[in-house]
Amino acid sequence: MILNIQKLEAGYGKLKVLRGIDLHVGKESVGLFGPNGAGKTTLINAIMGIVKPWSGTIEFEGVSIGGNATHLVARSGIALVPQERELFPGMSVADNLELGAAYVPRGKPVMARQLETVLTLFPILKERYKQLVGTMSGGQQRMVAIGRALMANPALLILDEPSLGLQPSIVAEVFDRLSILKKDIAILVTEQNVRESLKAIDRGYVMENGAVTIEDIAEGLARNPHVVSAYLGI
Amino acid sequence: MANKRNATVLVGLSLAAVAVIAVWKPTVLIYGIQAAGLYASIAIPMGLILGIVHIVNLAHGEFMMLASYATYMLCSATGMDPFVAMVPTAAVTALFGFVIYRLTIRQALKAPELNQLILTFGIAIAMTQAVNLIYTSQTRKLSFEYVSASIDIGELSFGIFNFVFVLVAILMVVGLRIFLTRTTTGKAALAVGQNPKGAAIVGIDVDRTYGLVFALASALVGMMGALFITRSSIFPGVGSPFTMKSFCLVAMAGIGNIPGILGASILLGISENFLKAFRGLRGWADIVFFVLIITVILGRSIRGKKA
Repeated sequence: MILNIQKLEAGYGKLKVLRGIDLHVGKESVGLFGPNGAGKTTLINAIMGIVKPWSGTIEFEGVSIGGNATHLVARSGIALVPQERELFPGMSVADNLELGAAYVPRGKPVMARQLETVLTLFPILKERYKQLVGTMSGGQQRMVAIGRALMANPALLILDEPSLGLQPSIVAEVFDRLSILKKDIAILVTEQNVRESLKAIDRGYVMENGAVTIEDIAEGLARNPHVVSAYLGI
Repeated sequence: MANKRNATVLVGLSLAAVAVIAVWKPTVLIYGIQAAGLYASIAIPMGLILGIVHIVNLAHGEFMMLASYATYMLCSATGMDPFVAMVPTAAVTALFGFVIYRLTIRQALKAPELNQLILTFGIAIAMTQAVNLIYTSQTRKLSFEYVSASIDIGELSFGIFNFVFVLVAILMVVGLRIFLTRTTTGKAALAVGQNPKGAAIVGIDVDRTYGLVFALASALVGMMGALFITRSSIFPGVGSPFTMKSFCLVAMAGIGNIPGILGASILLGISENFLKAFRGLRGWADIVFFVLIITVILGRSIRGKKA
């Protein structure tokens, strides 16, 4: 088991957002679906230590990481591609990628290899290697963000809404790249775009109102009447 | 982009003025550049803190004052030269800065920015008054022969010691540039300045980086405190004008634009010495600084509005 979350509760101030989440990720690609406000991003923030868990456990590779500082979670081998990308706009693609690996013990020794992988996966980043990230388009910045996360050679890659604000052709491209990645890394991805992401995942959870309501393999979700009517819009 | 354009405008203006003044009143140029060196080398550490930790340290000049007193004690007790004493002084000031950061400023980071201003202003007053109590308000001075070194070129005779500060300023700009663009720690510091959340999710210890940058800036200003005593007498309030001048130079250059501080300092140094060259205008030299800062900020706001 790579990630194992049990009875997790968390929130902001007095507002409880997560009401007892049970979720696990093995060596697979897992989707996390649900409407705005369901608590998907809060769950990710709790894993990354950006939001402190109120109760419950978060284990990563068998070690409890619940409540650890964000930089320690990152160093232990979880890489996040945040919804807002959170890149370093005044620095080059090269520097952004380098910083993805520089502070992660499992990423630093294999930096050259990971860079090769990232530049093969996203050739556009090779062309724009010296360009400042702040001057690039949203789609290209998304690729830098995914590239930066991969540089850490993570055991678990978390992507929060990777298709948000992207034009459909790039969304397809991003998921295309994700399905290549899932052979080597465990992936947890939240998505509004359920149709595209079902192609790239093995298993998925549906979250509503801070709790998991459906858990199934991708084919099962694609046939589930609730998922079809609420998220696939058929 | 805007920073780059501002720097270009500043450098362009400076060069034009320099050309005219060099022919007409060469001493204005020489002393102007020497003053600029001093201003810049004191302002650059503040530019580093502002650009990366985004804190206005209103105790900046007082840090320098304290370092000057430390150097004074060390040099008068052991006969050490300030150029040697600057090494231990910088180390002690770095430690002092780090402790001040951990104990006070760190707690105010998440609070509204006004709190940081009030906090560092309070630290400045506390430091000045503490030194006042311990060492009294009496001015102190160390004398060194090399300070009065001068050279003659044709009919022109001028002191050259203060060029040391120009050299220090240039070394600081070059050194910081190498640190921030070539070393991993430097890149991490830049990253923290640009996006602390993004820095944390790639494994950078944001809090530690803030402390490190604050300590580094304190070390640099401590070094300046040691060098400052070679040319000026010191008293508890000696640092405070430099806090304000440094802040305004950093603002003129544009936050985060460290090389721009050099340009802004040259503009200020030469303008001040230009007025000082006229007997009747000498008293107005201090106001140049305010005219410059108001003009630059006003110009930038108007341009900002258009954009």
